[in-house]
Amino acid sequence: MIKTENLTKTFSSGTKAVDNLNIHVEEGEIFGFLGPNGAGKSTTIKILTTLARPTSGIAWIGGYNVLTEPNKVRCSIGYVSQETGVDYFLSGRENLVLQGRLYRMDSKSIHKRVEELLELFDLKETADALVSTYSGGMRRKLDVATALIHNPKILFLDEPTIGLDPHSRSSLWNYIRMLNKDFKVTLFLTTHYLDEADKLSHRIGILHKGSMKIVDTPEALKDSIKGDSINLSLSGGAKEKAITVLKESPMVKDILCEDGHVRVYVNNGSETIPGLMKLLNQQGVEILSLTISRPSLDDVYLKYSGVSFKEGESTGEANPWWAQWQKGGGGEKWASSPSNGQGGAWGSWEDKKEDKGDEKQEDAWNKDKDKDKDKDKNEEQEEAWKKWGGSTSDWEKWGKGGGKS
Amino acid sequence: MIVLISDTWHLFNKYLRITLRMPMWALFTIIQPLIWLLIFGQLFKNMASLPGFPVGRYMDFFLPGAIIMTVLFGTSWSGVSLLREINFGTVEKMLVTPVSRIAIVMSRVIHSAFTVIIQCVIITIVALIFGVRASSLSGILLSFIVVFLLSVGFSSISNGLAMWLKREEPLVVIGNMMTLPLMFFSSAMVPKSFMPEWIRVITMVNPIDYAVEAIRAFYAGAISSESVFTGLAFLVLFALASTSWATEMFVNQSE
Repeated sequence: MIKTENLTKTFSSGTKAVDNLNIHVEEGEIFGFLGPNGAGKSTTIKILTTLARPTSGIAWIGGYNVLTEPNKVRCSIGYVSQETGVDYFLSGRENLVLQGRLYRMDSKSIHKRVEELLELFDLKETADALVSTYSGGMRRKLDVATALIHNPKILFLDEPTIGLDPHSRSSLWNYIRMLNKDFKVTLFLTTHYLDEADKLSHRIGILHKGSMKIVDTPEALKDSIKGDSINLSLSGGAKEKAITVLKESPMVKDILCEDGHVRVYVNNGSETIPGLMKLLNQQGVEILSLTISRPSLDDVYLKYSGVSFKEGESTGEANPWWAQWQKGGGGEKWASSPSNGQGGAWGSWEDKKEDKGDEKQEDAWNKDKDKDKDKDKNEEQEEAWKKWGGSTSDWEKWGKGGGKS
Repeated sequence: MIVLISDTWHLFNKYLRITLRMPMWALFTIIQPLIWLLIFGQLFKNMASLPGFPVGRYMDFFLPGAIIMTVLFGTSWSGVSLLREINFGTVEKMLVTPVSRIAIVMSRVIHSAFTVIIQCVIITIVALIFGVRASSLSGILLSFIVVFLLSVGFSSISNGLAMWLKREEPLVVIGNMMTLPLMFFSSAMVPKSFMPEWIRVITMVNPIDYAVEAIRAFYAGAISSESVFTGLAFLVLFALASTSWATEMFVNQSE
């Protein structure tokens, strides 16, 4: 249903937003498209929905070429963007009717379809109220409904649940599943919420710097990280010490760090824990709490994207421990040392890694936390800004500059 | 072509509904030019007694000026609201449909012209109540053709500038900066015979001056006069040129 061949988009500033991207999404699939900010997700979606032109490469949607048959593509897809594009000063029903008109449907089928959609999305009661009186969740639902007015076979959702409360999120998830299951709609979804991608998608693709790092089912991706992760919460100042101790331990495959927490990857969590605790206790490291878990999509994401969500932003408050460590030259030793005992396991783990090295992952982990604080707010503004306002180069992502380069 | 017209119609319909839901906005945009009309009418009242001033009261002379001010203030918002729609994702929602890109711009421009015409109708009625003289009803009605052409031209410029500047602030600044000089470089406030030579030269390329002269001629009943003919010809060209520029800007940037 969705296919791209060596899709590339270079902005006039020279940045390659999308780099030789190959995507293949089957009919009836929910495809989760993940990647950090600036990885090229939105640009890719914009090319696929005919809102932007690729610099080179080809994309087909439902068999139509996005460049040569844009109107056929437009009629076979629905698109839900990050900003709810519904008009606040029209009622829900008027928004739906208008969208039908824009798809040039005839009055009779518009009205029939509008009733269907109002029913389906449970918006009947508020259909004639102005959208400005709607809650965020209702607005989202209406947004999705307007994208479905012409009965598209493919639906693109760009961060559909951003800024929604947990209840509205799960309600929207149910609609997404229903669309896929009962109406056989193929879905292409980008999100920053990994649990969302995990729960919804049949397959997940992780995008990094414009190219696809890996595509697989969520299960297979999680299985690709063998072993368990142990999350240690340590008393202040004990972190550096714990890391020094742990990296020498043959039991430990990898370490990620976040504020007061240290995440340790091991082969068999329940068997390793007693030894690990003993080791740390011997060295005088006090463990405040400890949890053990199967690798989540977070781990997969960090492994393949290898960068922080906030890459490119100020690194003024770069995290202390690994920075110091790197200065001391320890980083090199750590990264290349095969002598930490379990040579084989360590080696194979290293091999699987992207060439980003540890520090990037750890950086990601450390910054991961800031991300959550004002993520929603930041991202919404950032994205809106990126597309239309802000600097010229950002503007070009949507507009002229990009198209002409 | 039919598709373009129907697309434009549906979008125009939407903007009209939204405007009707903001009665306060409509009210204030009418009040402002009325204030101009009354204040300027009083302020420059004595100018009418200067030698060389056309016959009649200053308010008679200034009515076309008040109408033109309405046009300029009323249309300069068009681009600002385009930027808002872009920021809200509303334009993107249009662009994913097969709807004509030209219709997106045209519907905005025509909507803007339409609201300005409504405002001008009200101002004209008030002016007539205050005793402004017009030789015939047809003259008054024909003057709205001028209002339409000028509004289409200036709201296109506002939309085109919006696509060019991409930010609200500079757009508003430029809009304000343009308004008064354009008024001064025309015979809206002062008869041409009072102007220094260099300003008179500038008026020859100012669409506002052509509009003012044409409206005055219509009010005076000189419907087939030369100033009507050249005025309308110039304004048609102006409207065509600016709409093509605005649609060009929009289509270019949206692909």
